[in-house]
Amino acid sequence: MPVDAAGLEPWEAESRRRAKDGLLALFPLRDVSEYGHRTFGQRTERAARSGLSWDQIALAPPLFTPKRFERMLELGREPYFSDVDLSTKVGGFASPVPFYLSAMGGTSAASHGGFALATTAAQRGIPLVLGENISTVRGYEKRTQADHPSFKERAKAYLKALPEKLGGLVIQQSVEDADSELWNHVYSDPDFEPLLATGRLGFELKCGQGAKPGLGGLTLVGAADAKRLKTKFLVQEHDIGHSHRMRHSAPGTYTEEILRNQVRLMRNNYPRARIWIKLPPTRDVDAAAATCWDAGADAVTVDGAEGGTGLAPSAFLDHMGLPLLECLFLLGRPDAKHCLHVSGGFHEGARIVKALCLGARAVGLGRAALAAHDADEDHGLGKFFDVLDLELRMLVSGLGKYRVPDLAAEDLFLPRGTVPTF
Amino acid sequence: MRPEWSQPALHLRKPETKLALRIQHRACDAIRAELTHMGFVEFLAPIVGPVTDPGIRGAKQGVIDYYGREYRVMSSGILYKQLALNAFDKIFFNAPNLRMEPPETATTGRHLAEFYQIDLEMARATYDDAMDVAERITVAATNAVAKEFGAQLQEQGRILKPLRQPFPRLTHAQCVERLHAAGREQDPRAEIRWPEEEFLSAQSDTAFFIKDYPKGSRGFYDQEDPKRPGILKDFDLILPEGFGEVVSGAEREYQYERIIARMRETGENPAKYGWYVDMLKQGIPPSSGFGIGVERLTRFLTGLDAVWKARPWPKVPGFPCP
Repeated sequence: MPVDAAGLEPWEAESRRRAKDGLLALFPLRDVSEYGHRTFGQRTERAARSGLSWDQIALAPPLFTPKRFERMLELGREPYFSDVDLSTKVGGFASPVPFYLSAMGGTSAASHGGFALATTAAQRGIPLVLGENISTVRGYEKRTQADHPSFKERAKAYLKALPEKLGGLVIQQSVEDADSELWNHVYSDPDFEPLLATGRLGFELKCGQGAKPGLGGLTLVGAADAKRLKTKFLVQEHDIGHSHRMRHSAPGTYTEEILRNQVRLMRNNYPRARIWIKLPPTRDVDAAAATCWDAGADAVTVDGAEGGTGLAPSAFLDHMGLPLLECLFLLGRPDAKHCLHVSGGFHEGARIVKALCLGARAVGLGRAALAAHDADEDHGLGKFFDVLDLELRMLVSGLGKYRVPDLAAEDLFLPRGTVPTF
Repeated sequence: MRPEWSQPALHLRKPETKLALRIQHRACDAIRAELTHMGFVEFLAPIVGPVTDPGIRGAKQGVIDYYGREYRVMSSGILYKQLALNAFDKIFFNAPNLRMEPPETATTGRHLAEFYQIDLEMARATYDDAMDVAERITVAATNAVAKEFGAQLQEQGRILKPLRQPFPRLTHAQCVERLHAAGREQDPRAEIRWPEEEFLSAQSDTAFFIKDYPKGSRGFYDQEDPKRPGILKDFDLILPEGFGEVVSGAEREYQYERIIARMRETGENPAKYGWYVDMLKQGIPPSSGFGIGVERLTRFLTGLDAVWKARPWPKVPGFPCP
């Protein structure tokens, strides 16, 4: 049994920490002051039921490349990786790349970087999801906290830098945002008309997230905010350190009928908006996705257990939720008319290409984008996108393909017997 | 030049406006008399409450600070109509409503942010009973206006013909079929779109009902038919000549468990509906009811091309109006 620096076995170290830190010990935080400056994700990779993990899957290039031959006929010369067309339809939006920026957690880091992330994504025509609770916590138009941009400030930053005909802005709504009617607010706000008029506004129903499925949103708030937010959220009375309290969103209750009708209602009430549904990595993710597509969703996003978060209990990070690969195996390759997005742990091209081969239309980037911005606030995210762009072109062309939709399971090498039916 | 709807003093001095307002007065009078005759009791409507009607498509509610709490300006009095049945079995009110509709509706000729509707509810009545009442009061208003203002309207080119009865009662599915047969697009699982509704209305020589909308197109209070899952026992009354919808109504869900499930199906959090949920736990009677849009009815009676002309101080969606 391994021991820590004090010579304690893990069970004893953890028990002592719980006794000492109280409720703070639920989280991977040594001190409340760490909160908001880091993001978290699962700490040990979980293998799919087949025993597979992402790294065990190899990209399998062929020598005989009919698609390269097709591209050569189009070009009248030998194709290079630079001839790969990465553009694709992401949840109903035209995107130059098969990825988009996911909703970031409600931390200070994500909030402060909000402007820059929105602007850089917009400049490149990359779709952006604005996360739940931004409006309810930071204010819709006016800031509730001087140093955090409001919901509309972030939306406007994106809109201002967006080129014609590319990208799209997707607005998440939590149970508590629904109480404040966020989607109705946006849909009737003249400032969003340019996006509606060009089919570039979407609404995402968040049914959960990878890092803490079934738990709902969770942030730590200071005493003043706790008092203000108490009327809208569950705010724990217990002080977990430095007068901070836990603020929870409800996870939302779903049955197949509830989910089906929520999607239909979104379709019915917001005919000019794209409808996205974000699903957590649950054991019934295949049935849930089928229900959403059948009810008319433009895109279903599955957030694997690898997904990042502003904060989640360690028990969730370590044990709760299916790995994204297992979700993809459960889902099988969706019908061409159904758009599947996946997120959770993506930061480089190879894993993105593997996910696209397994049936995803696009991949959501979260923590990686935040880290890139943090590394260089002025140019970090732009450079990060440049690297990913070129890396993806190289990988896709290496597989003898030049269009994203041509990627398929044939481009992967899966150890024999590990994946029964894919 | 500023549009007429942003200059209410100018608008109010126009003969066309004055005639429309007189006709509106007469129509409301006729409806009030008819409802009173049928045993309805008139209530004075609520203005604000902690919650209001959520069943409005893409329109935002008005929020006010009420002693430090968020209260809503009524988008309809539906929840209070069910409450009012604690006193009487048949109630109505002529109520102002606020729905901040998307700016795209400014030019439909049929949307206002601030409007009135005569809203009624009947305990232990079916939606067929409610359609009977809707037909009766629409005819009463039309006949009263035709009798008193027919000649004046004719001078302005509006020939107000009596509405042929009984009003046909078509199902939503039948309407979708008609639209598809005419080569028009319509999602069979959604509301009839405005241009399509106008098309059906223009083709009809009398008013007609569209009933049995698919679930997912209305608020949680429209009852799902227990015998036909996925179908709501609800209806709209469509006026002829392209004037379109004037009434929306339904048989109501009234059982606690059903309403909680339906609230979630419409993305609502039951916690938001505190007083209403408490009332449901105590039990409310089954009921049916509807609201009839006063300005839309006036627009039909007078033949006006836009509903804002039937308001003395119109609030056109998306524009700051007096």
